[in-house]
Amino acid sequence: MPKGEHLGDLEELTLLAVLRRGPAADGAGVRGELAEAAGRTVSISTVYVTLMRLEEKGYTSSWKGEPTGRRGGKAKRHYAVTPEGRAALEAVRAVRDGMWAGVPDAADA
Amino acid sequence: MRLPGEVADALLGDLHDLYLDRREHQGRARADLWYWGQAFFLRGAALRRAARRLAWVRPATDRTRSGRPFTPSAPMLMTPTDIRYALRRLLRSPGFTAVAVLSLALGIGANTAMFSVVNAVLLRELPVSEPHQLVEIYTSEDEDTPYSVSSHPDYLDLRARSESFAGIVGSRTTIMRADLDGAPRVVFGELVSWDFFQTLGVEMQLGRAFVEEEDRTPGSHAVVILGHRVWTQEFGASPDVIGTDIVLNGRPFRVVGVAPRAYTGSMPVMVASFFVPLMMTNEIMGSPQLARRGTRAMFLKARLREDVTVEQANAELAAVGAALEEAHPETNEGHSFTAVPSSEVSLHPEVDGALAPVAGLLLGVVGIVLLIACANLASFLLARAEERRREIAVRLALGAGRQRLVGQLLVETTVIALLGGGVGIGIAHWTLGLMMSLQPPMPVPVDIEISIDRAVLAFTAGVSLLAGVLFGLAPALQATKPDLAPTLKGESVGAGGRGRRTLRNALVVTQVAFSFVVLIGAGLFVRSLDKAQRIDPGFDVGPAALVWPLPALSGIETPDEIRAFYEAYTERLLADPLVTSVGLADRLPLGSGIQTASFALPGVPSEDPDGEHDIDNATVSERYFEAMGVEILSGRSFVDEDMDGPPVVVVSRAFVDRFYPGESIIGRTIRNRGEDHRIVGVASDTKVRTLGENPRPYVYRLQGQATFFGMQVVVRGEGTSAQLVAIARSALDEIAPDIVLFEEVKTMDQHLALLLFPPRMAALLLTVFGTLALMLAAIGIYGVVSHAVARRTREVGIRMSLGASAREVVLMAIGGGMKLVFVGASVGIVLAIALTWSISSFLYGISPTDIATFVGIPLLLTGVALVAAWLPARRASSVDPVSSLRVE
Repeated sequence: MPKGEHLGDLEELTLLAVLRRGPAADGAGVRGELAEAAGRTVSISTVYVTLMRLEEKGYTSSWKGEPTGRRGGKAKRHYAVTPEGRAALEAVRAVRDGMWAGVPDAADA
Repeated sequence: MRLPGEVADALLGDLHDLYLDRREHQGRARADLWYWGQAFFLRGAALRRAARRLAWVRPATDRTRSGRPFTPSAPMLMTPTDIRYALRRLLRSPGFTAVAVLSLALGIGANTAMFSVVNAVLLRELPVSEPHQLVEIYTSEDEDTPYSVSSHPDYLDLRARSESFAGIVGSRTTIMRADLDGAPRVVFGELVSWDFFQTLGVEMQLGRAFVEEEDRTPGSHAVVILGHRVWTQEFGASPDVIGTDIVLNGRPFRVVGVAPRAYTGSMPVMVASFFVPLMMTNEIMGSPQLARRGTRAMFLKARLREDVTVEQANAELAAVGAALEEAHPETNEGHSFTAVPSSEVSLHPEVDGALAPVAGLLLGVVGIVLLIACANLASFLLARAEERRREIAVRLALGAGRQRLVGQLLVETTVIALLGGGVGIGIAHWTLGLMMSLQPPMPVPVDIEISIDRAVLAFTAGVSLLAGVLFGLAPALQATKPDLAPTLKGESVGAGGRGRRTLRNALVVTQVAFSFVVLIGAGLFVRSLDKAQRIDPGFDVGPAALVWPLPALSGIETPDEIRAFYEAYTERLLADPLVTSVGLADRLPLGSGIQTASFALPGVPSEDPDGEHDIDNATVSERYFEAMGVEILSGRSFVDEDMDGPPVVVVSRAFVDRFYPGESIIGRTIRNRGEDHRIVGVASDTKVRTLGENPRPYVYRLQGQATFFGMQVVVRGEGTSAQLVAIARSALDEIAPDIVLFEEVKTMDQHLALLLFPPRMAALLLTVFGTLALMLAAIGIYGVVSHAVARRTREVGIRMSLGASAREVVLMAIGGGMKLVFVGASVGIVLAIALTWSISSFLYGISPTDIATFVGIPLLLTGVALVAAWLPARRASSVDPVSSLRVE
């Protein structure tokens, strides 16, 4: 992890959601993914605040899409996970897996 | 955390996108709700940037379609932040909020209640399908009565001969005697053509409407459709009622259907209990009326065919009318038919014209009350603006936009106004319940249906929002232009507040002026009621019982039977030692309805082409004059022998004065229906139709055949009215226990109460509204004086330390308030004089510039204003000079 920054729970899920959405994920899509795949209902602004925080940490990058009438003339913003983001996720996963490895099965306990 | 503009844009875009998704799948209302929920919960930093860009009404899809960017103009903003901010601020000063909301609620409540009444009587559209296709068809008798009722044979001919209509239906309202659970009762019902409900597009709640078979042969099908209210109240809304029999006018009728709740009958406000086919008219009315072309009692409605205009329909009606005139000259000469679109008729084309000014007056008065309440709101806001001016100055100095601040202040007033509207609806609901429970002293129990419907709610919401924006705007504009420098320096005595105070003072002056006008109105109506109660009606208003039996509905049908009944009843009554005289009349003076007959008066020309005069008249018994306390001025009263001799009449003094002034009248003859009537006496005048009228020519005829509505019995005697009522009732129980009464046995006072009902209601309503106006104005005065005292604490301190006494200081404070009251009252007097002429036609016996009213009301107003000013002014005397000088 480049800056040694802690990756919060919602941040982790958000990153995963961006990955699951594939290239050019957008806020609404991420929110939907969080709701469907992770069972987390968060407000749209939370999604964006989280995405922004991730971007500041260098884990995501974003770019402006084309404005459409359906969106009230607002441009979409697309998000993708940077290699650093991917690395941070892997690191978290490694930590988790390592921890799990030492946990006895419920049946054994 | 602060979202960069582009991200906030994306967020708003997503919101928009999701909103549209939801709108497609869940509908507009749920999507709106969701959207505002989302907007409300926009968090922290995101909120500040993004929420401001949300349009107030809805996401602006339409606005951006033209390609303009999504940036609503500043005044349109009313963001969730603003609303939350406003709510927080209002909750911080609960006292202010409560008074502001309550005074608005009173104003709005009064308006909502009054509008509900007007809406129910005049505005509400019939609950039928395609109401714009409906027309009312009236029989035009002559130029004076263009919109009259029609006869059944004419109706059948219209149906058969006209092509313009998809259907013509007829209805006739009447009273019926209903025996429900053994207790006979008189109720309103309607006789309707079989296709009445189908043509109007009214679906039955239960069962079915009538079928053609049931309206083909007179008297063959005794079937009935229940009104919704009678169904719920008397039959427990039971579906089993279909197929059972109920007894109407002594005859069983099979229940085939129940009308829906929304359709209460062909008359607005009055709720019909039963609907019966027209073919049962003779059975219900107790006389063969159905086949008579001259018996006109039906209201006709028709549905225009789609390609036909009202003009075309009227042309065709004129042709049918002319044909009927030719075929039946004896009944139809001079008669024609006129169609009027139903949307233009509320009760009746002629009645509507008379009701509109009453409705206008009432709405005008409550409108004034609301204005006074709104002035209070504006005044409070101005006072608050003064308290907040440092906060506002700071915000302005820090670069807050004025538009934005005005917007925020407006949000606050709008929230107050909407809260006031909400509470106001509650007040209106309660008031209407009270009004509907006040049964007018009508002969038949009237079911009045007044409810708060969508039109009323829209009206209230509109009034509330208008009040909030209109009366919030001026204070908000005032508040946001303080002189920054002195305010920030902390000076309280400066030029900065002068504009506000002038505005507040102007508001109080307006309030006083308007409440003065309403109070004058109230005073006039109260005085008028008092006068009306003192008017001598020309007959004895002392203790008496009045009985109105309906023998025709009680199985007493032949003229001989009817006469025998009245004779037996009179005899039985006179047997009681308390009863001194008993008189009969088919119409009592000042009773309901107008009864005229045409008389040819030899030697007196008439404007009517037939040379006859329409004169009010009554058919009475020999001892009527004695029982009623009407004096015979010359000649004689009726005697027993007159019954078998040639027709004789007694006329009123006004009859003589009008038609034969200065001539000897006894022995002259007048003609009615080709028969000579000899005048045998002259009676003193009585009021006939209204208390306010001038003496009216009147003709008394001797008791002949009783009409459908029977003869009314006047029981006069010693003792109280209550004793006489008891005697009249027990006598009835003895000789005819099953007799149906048109109304309960009543006292003379109750008879007059119906007549006094309109002036009494007017006096009551105006007094209530006047008191409300006065209270609201008093609150305004209190507020201004209170605020002036608080603002001038330092000045008071200086004065007191220079030797002014507490009394002088209090007087000074009161004086400031009273100056405004006097200016307001002066304006009010001018306004009142200018406006009261418009109610002069509603007043009995006083002029619209009645001196007593115009002296009494200013005294009352001054008294109340003095108290309202004195209460806060007292505080000035308790100012401690030392601490007040340190107040800053």
